[in-house]
Parts: sequence; C-alpha cells; structure tokens
Amino acid sequence: MRNPLRPTRRVHAHCDIPCGIYDPAQARIEAESCYKIIEKYNASSDELLRARCIDIKEERAELTKHHIDVLWHDYFKPEHLEKFPDLHDVCWKASKAASRVKQTTDLEAAKELLGLIDKIDEMWRASGGPEKTRLQAVAV
Amino acid sequence: MSTERGRHRPLSSFVVRGLALGAGVAAIAFARRWLDVVEVQGSSMAPTVLPGEWLLVEGRTYTRRPPRVGEVVLAADPREPSRELIKRVAAVDAESRTVDLRGDAPEASTDSRTFGAVPVEAVYWRVVARYWPAARATRL
Repeated sequence: MRNPLRPTRRVHAHCDIPCGIYDPAQARIEAESCYKIIEKYNASSDELLRARCIDIKEERAELTKHHIDVLWHDYFKPEHLEKFPDLHDVCWKASKAASRVKQTTDLEAAKELLGLIDKIDEMWRASGGPEKTRLQAVAV
Repeated sequence: MSTERGRHRPLSSFVVRGLALGAGVAAIAFARRWLDVVEVQGSSMAPTVLPGEWLLVEGRTYTRRPPRVGEVVLAADPREPSRELIKRVAAVDAESRTVDLRGDAPEASTDSRTFGAVPVEAVYWRVVARYWPAARATRL
C-alpha cells in the first residue's frame, strides 16, 4: 500500500545546469561552417556534393541557433538587459538569421548571421563572460 | 480485571477523542490550504534539505506579512510557472515588493541570480519542518 504520509506534491530545489560555461565562439564556429559550405555549394556542379552541402548546412545552422538560444536564455541576465538595451533584438535577429541560413543558400544571410553573433560576443565580453564563464586554468 | 479496564477507560477514551479532534483539525487545515506536505526534488538546497525528503509547509503566514530573509519558501518558477521551486529568501525589497531567492548550494542552484527577483505574491508557502526521514525530522 502507498504510504499515506508520502506527499503527492513535488517541489524543485532546482538547478538548470551546474556547469555555467558559455562562449559565443561555439555559435560562431557553426556559423562559419555554414558560410564556407554555402561557398562550396555555389562553386560546385557536383550534384552529390551539393546535396551533402545542403544536408550539413542545415545541421550546422540548427546548432548555431541552439547555441544562440542558450546564450540568450541562460547566460544573459536581467542586469545585462539594462546594460545592453538591444540585447533581445540582437539575439532575436541572430536566431532568425540562423533560420534563414538553414532555409537558403544565400551567402549574405550567412554574413549577416556572423555579424550578429559578433554583436552577441561583444556583449558577452563586456559583461565579463570570458573571465566568468570559461575555465581560466585547468589543473591536469 | 474488569475494574482495571474500567479505570483505564476514561484515559483511553480521552486519548481517542484527542486524536480524533487532532485529525479533524488537521483535515480542515489541509482542506483550507493552511498546511500541505511536499517532496523535495533536486539538490540546490543541500545541505538544508536533500532530494527525496518530505516537508510540512504552511500557507497562512504570507497572507498576513511578507516573507522574511532567511525563511525557506516555495515559489512558482518565473520561467515555468507550473514548476514550484524551494529556495531560501536572500533579500526582500519592500519598495518593489520583490523577493530575492537563493539555493543553499549556490554552485548548484538556478535562482534569482538567473531569473531575477520574484514578486512577493509568487511566494505563498513557508517551509515549516521536515518529517521524513524520521532521523532528520526537525523544524526548519
């Protein structure tokens, strides 16, 4: 029989993720892959290669979007928004640019995405991200 | 034999009546949401409360006064209101009527450092005691 003293309600001593490691470089590397793949796609007439390019580009663009979202949702805090009033706008546009890179083979979209990730990177640096959210030294 | 039982009857009936009255009062208290029991999930409140422990909470105090610094409370997660958090009150801002929540294990806690201070109305339940495991039963 079920223990009658056992609560049915659960409360959460919650922790999103204990690691606290963030760096827009993660998004930037995936976005650079997209940029380079679009260049290769446009330069090639090999249908097989072009098909693979599309496949990989969609995968990398999705990862870019994921990394942007993690920075936006988890790294940036209300006090950052006070300091950088266009924070939401930049992250939103970057997410949208990542979607466009996923959907198209437009090199301009990939350029725009890189520019927006660089803007996120500036805010990350200005808020002390490199010192606070990357390991400074690891004892091995 | 019968006289002895007769002598004990008033005492035992007193105990039975007392228990019945206590159960009745408890039933009313639970029904009116003055009291409830909850199970803890997650470790952000270690070492104060640990995952799997059962706690008694009461919902009367904060209808009369705001939470105070140091009290352990339940509050709706501002990012996911269906999730109820257990955290400690780290600061109370009387002017903005907000409460700053922190886990007792700051390195393994998502709290007001991430989602900001929560409105005082979001804090309804005060944690009163732990009743299970029995060896760790205590007021909190």
